[in-house]
Amino acid sequence: MENLRQQIAEMRQSFFDEEILDKQFYQLELLEKRGNPNFVEEVLTVYFRESTTLLQTIEQAIETEPIEPVKVDRMLYKLKGSSANIGANKVRNNVTKTRQLVEGGNLEGAKAAFQELRNEHANLRAKLELYFQQLRQACPAETASRPVPAEVILHDARPGDHRSRSC
Amino acid sequence: MASALPSGDMGAAEANSGNGGQMQKKPFTFNEIVLRNRLTALVVDGDNFCRLLEQGILQAYGLETQSVNNGDAAVELIASGAKFDLILIDMLLPILDGVEATRRIRAMGMRCKMLGVTACSGERERQAFLAAGVDVFVEKPLGPEILIPVLRELDGQV
Repeated sequence: MENLRQQIAEMRQSFFDEEILDKQFYQLELLEKRGNPNFVEEVLTVYFRESTTLLQTIEQAIETEPIEPVKVDRMLYKLKGSSANIGANKVRNNVTKTRQLVEGGNLEGAKAAFQELRNEHANLRAKLELYFQQLRQACPAETASRPVPAEVILHDARPGDHRSRSC
Repeated sequence: MASALPSGDMGAAEANSGNGGQMQKKPFTFNEIVLRNRLTALVVDGDNFCRLLEQGILQAYGLETQSVNNGDAAVELIASGAKFDLILIDMLLPILDGVEATRRIRAMGMRCKMLGVTACSGERERQAFLAAGVDVFVEKPLGPEILIPVLRELDGQV
């Protein structure tokens, strides 16, 4: 168990060292400690649900010619804001890069940047799913109305789920 | 299980501070704040997630919150007589954008603290939002280094 906790701590630290996440994620964790259990997981669940849908919509818009730059920019703006709000540093930076290319009229560049963005988003999701899965394994004494696997947590928020990760 | 804290001070972090002010680099710190008074806030953001998160953050600090998803709804709410100690308003909003909504809210005599919290980062956008009447221009996310001093001021702790 101690090995698992060490592994979790190292995994978490790597998110910051690799600049996948920034201090905003740390703020969310601290807010959870202020008496709002499961705040981080709930936030991330909503984020990944909405951002995944948004990415699909953006992709359709970028692939449909003629491209509507204002419409695409608005969607990227939303994605930038929500990504910044969870501390998704690399995703946010990829969004900024894509926006700049769209604004500059470089359509091929924007498409390539968008694929990088999608890959980074998928990478973040995979890493956080694993992280919360391991956290759950490290805290078997959590109270739960219904245990839900981490991958489901980050895909689909179910009404009425309340979990505490204190252990 | 308590999450392990990141090592060190996580490096210097950029903080946007408005008031016509300049970009500042400050080390990130988290200072506890306990509000002595009832404070209310309105969150104006067209993105569902951002609206929920910013409300959640304000509620975690003890504020009572409301939210609307467009600038026109914000103006109507204020026009109806609703009063808030703090308004967080995004720049790009449906129906009526944040700059114009801010202008109209200020024109109604609302003098509460307004933070323009936006994913825009350009100097032109910053100047436009400040000129419209926000007190602070904040590039998302709204971090504690900006929010906590504002809350202290509103709560009379300064």
